[in-house]
Amino acid sequence: MTLNRTHLWSKLTALTIVFSILLTACGGSSEPNAAKEAGTEKEAAAGKPSTWIADRKIKGLIFMGSDVTEGMNPDIAKKLKEMTGIELELQAVGHDGSKKALAAGLAAGDLPDFIGYYLNHSGRPEMELVNKAAREDMFHDLAPFLKDTNIYKKYTEDDYLPLDTKYGVLFRPEFNGSAYTIHLNIPREGGYEVRKYVPGPYIRKDIADSLGVDPRSITTSEQLYELAKKIKDGNFKDKNGKDIYPIGPTVWGGIDRDVLYNDLVWTGFNGEGFKRDGNGVILHESQTEYGLKRAEFVQKLIREKLMHPEYYSMEENRAKEGVLNDSFAIIGDVHNYVIENKDNRYIPLGPLNSVDGSYQMNLTYKGGYGAWSIPKTTNNPEDIVKLADFLASREGKLLWKYGLEGRDYDLDAKGNPVPKQEVLDLLDKDPVKAKELGFAGVGNDWGWYLGGTDLNDLADFGEASYGEAAKPDVNKGPLEIAQYWRYDEKKQQANIKDGYAALAFIGEFGKGTQLNMALDKYKESLIRAYYAKDLNEAKAILDSAAAQLKTAGLDDYIKLLKKKDQDPKTKLLF
Amino acid sequence: MERNTSVINAAELSGLGRASERSRLWRRMGRHYQLYLLLLPCIVFFIIFSYIPMAGLVLAFKDYQFNKGIFGSPWIGLTYFEMFFQDPQSIQLIRNTLIISAMKVFLALPFPIILALMFNEVRNSRLRNLFQGIAYLPHFFSWVIVVGMLQRILAPDTGLVNQVISWLGGDGSTFFLMEESAFYPTMFWSYIWKDVGWSSIIYYAAIVGINPALYEAAKMDGANKWRQIWHITLPGIRPTIIVLFILSLGNILSAGFDQIYLLKTPGNMNVSEILDTYIIYMGLESGQFGFGTAIGMMQGVIGLILVLTVNQVAKKWFQSSLW
Repeated sequence: MTLNRTHLWSKLTALTIVFSILLTACGGSSEPNAAKEAGTEKEAAAGKPSTWIADRKIKGLIFMGSDVTEGMNPDIAKKLKEMTGIELELQAVGHDGSKKALAAGLAAGDLPDFIGYYLNHSGRPEMELVNKAAREDMFHDLAPFLKDTNIYKKYTEDDYLPLDTKYGVLFRPEFNGSAYTIHLNIPREGGYEVRKYVPGPYIRKDIADSLGVDPRSITTSEQLYELAKKIKDGNFKDKNGKDIYPIGPTVWGGIDRDVLYNDLVWTGFNGEGFKRDGNGVILHESQTEYGLKRAEFVQKLIREKLMHPEYYSMEENRAKEGVLNDSFAIIGDVHNYVIENKDNRYIPLGPLNSVDGSYQMNLTYKGGYGAWSIPKTTNNPEDIVKLADFLASREGKLLWKYGLEGRDYDLDAKGNPVPKQEVLDLLDKDPVKAKELGFAGVGNDWGWYLGGTDLNDLADFGEASYGEAAKPDVNKGPLEIAQYWRYDEKKQQANIKDGYAALAFIGEFGKGTQLNMALDKYKESLIRAYYAKDLNEAKAILDSAAAQLKTAGLDDYIKLLKKKDQDPKTKLLF
Repeated sequence: MERNTSVINAAELSGLGRASERSRLWRRMGRHYQLYLLLLPCIVFFIIFSYIPMAGLVLAFKDYQFNKGIFGSPWIGLTYFEMFFQDPQSIQLIRNTLIISAMKVFLALPFPIILALMFNEVRNSRLRNLFQGIAYLPHFFSWVIVVGMLQRILAPDTGLVNQVISWLGGDGSTFFLMEESAFYPTMFWSYIWKDVGWSSIIYYAAIVGINPALYEAAKMDGANKWRQIWHITLPGIRPTIIVLFILSLGNILSAGFDQIYLLKTPGNMNVSEILDTYIIYMGLESGQFGFGTAIGMMQGVIGLILVLTVNQVAKKWFQSSLW
């Protein structure tokens, strides 16, 4: 009896398996289904707007942590759906480190329809992770799709992309014409700057007035030291009546920024510490005496209590509190658009000269910032490319930068958007509430992660940044500072360059990880040297860091840089 | 023939003995099934979160590729281990890790025991509960909070310690967290402050478990408090001390990531850079998962060898061991 039952169960199980296999076989591959779906899409697209892409949901995972606003305003999401058929959903990761999150995300392999990540140039550490994933066939080749777009096809034209973006990020020679990483934030024209940023140290205006000093006349670190001494002797107080520090940290907290002692930093074109000497030889700062010169200068400032002892380690909230309380006579680094200095209490100091002589503004021809890729697991990747292209178009940008016509803006006679007064008022009074309206002008950049490129808002919308036309005084304070600093004059004489950053080739350098670590160690060693007992100890610390860099292959890397610089496709920025 | 029969009989007997032992075990388990059911979630937890992930250790010998996964990636042998030992920093990293671990394992050992003995001597149970509560509380603070507090207490000019130094006529501008010499005391005493109360729980439980008749007998023999502690309490909790000590050796190459990572500054990096911080930099932040796994595996294997060795030594010398 038991044996019969066993037989019966065996037969039933076998039949079930056979039936399942048959059903699976009848199902066929997913591609014909996809083709069928695409056919249905085409039929459904009939009678839809010209911007229609496909009726589907697209999910994006953005490795930019707290810079990302995940939720979309329902009305704007509805409008996007009406225009393109796409329902866009963004998810942010990387709040405790975007690079770490990207490495873990790629290793996990469970990626949605597209991913977005930071990438200002090909030397950024994220690039090597993405290249590794591309080499291992994790991403779709997007080059064929770019040709069929309206905006992104510019990426395939000569002279549109900056060198590093073209050959270092998009069309890397190793990929033979394939493109796996689409760089964002490329200006339409070279040297295009939306805002007139004036970075650097700033001094309390009342103190400068009281001492009778024109802060713009301070152009060397020695003059800065003399000024700090005068401030200390002046016994100035903060808003709470307490003594102030002559030099406080940057408004973003304890960071070692070059601008405070620019004439003592072998900074290179973009602050990576690689630069040519008078004979054109590439050197890293560790091979020069500038590290020690700087250590001597900072030790003097700390010893004489002219600099806040936590200048290099203060948390951002404390630094901001210090700035708001006027507790620092000089802020180590800030710029004219930060809200902590809305009333221009602090005015720019310098700029200080560089090791080469008088200050000159350095600008890159064009620069990227973020990037996106489409994992191989995504069906119909062309839909995402089309969505990106739509978002990069004027029509798309109007939606994600200005919101909805009638609700958030009206069009003027020239067809440019004019933000509604109530939106601008809300933005002034309650920025958090305004952000819920869900477009970039009020702080939600949902469209930027795919469409933030081919930038020229002045040409597209008649204003360089949101709301300027409707409210000309929206940037009054920052522009006053720019005028005071003679921004336009400096920009006219700016050194505009195109090329590769010094660390752009670290991924292809055999000891790249060790060298990166040794470079980080060198920066930490500098801070250690600033706090050393005396100059001898500082020298020993810096010598040890320099030796570590040598062991990590610094000399070979410099040889590689020289070799790259000889190729017009990989010439250096400096 | 007779000899053969006797062999068969012995084998049969032994088999029967094993069978009856097994059935006795099942019967015993059946009798106490409630206890085994309570144990089940723990076993499942360890299988899922400790044993199954161990399969990932093969990454230490593989060139991890995103598209091939852990098991499909090609083997590269001991490359990562060679890489680590060729790194000029490796000796310094191991030395720093061992110094910090040794301080936590050896120097910190008496503190929770002393605290447990002190709790045991407080006769008023309400007062004892209050002291215990106060001592346990820091354990529940994250290291982010504790190090945040330390930063404020040890801050130059405005920190409590520097204020006291100024008040006593000193300079008061020492930036302790940037001083290499201040790192070990800061690390050690903050570790003690945070964990001494929590670690004392097991010792206190062991003390409570000592037969009170022993104390009464000692009292009658004229032993004072110190004698009672020395001759009854300490020997009574010796097995607990040994077991906890052996277990702590398993983490000898892991000096406590959170605390060290947060206390690390450029000023003290020569002594605060440890294997765990190195793994985070090389393994996670640089995406070299295989390399990170290899170093992690090395920490685990050395810990395991130490636990096994010391366990054998303790068994032989003190008749106390983990198993």
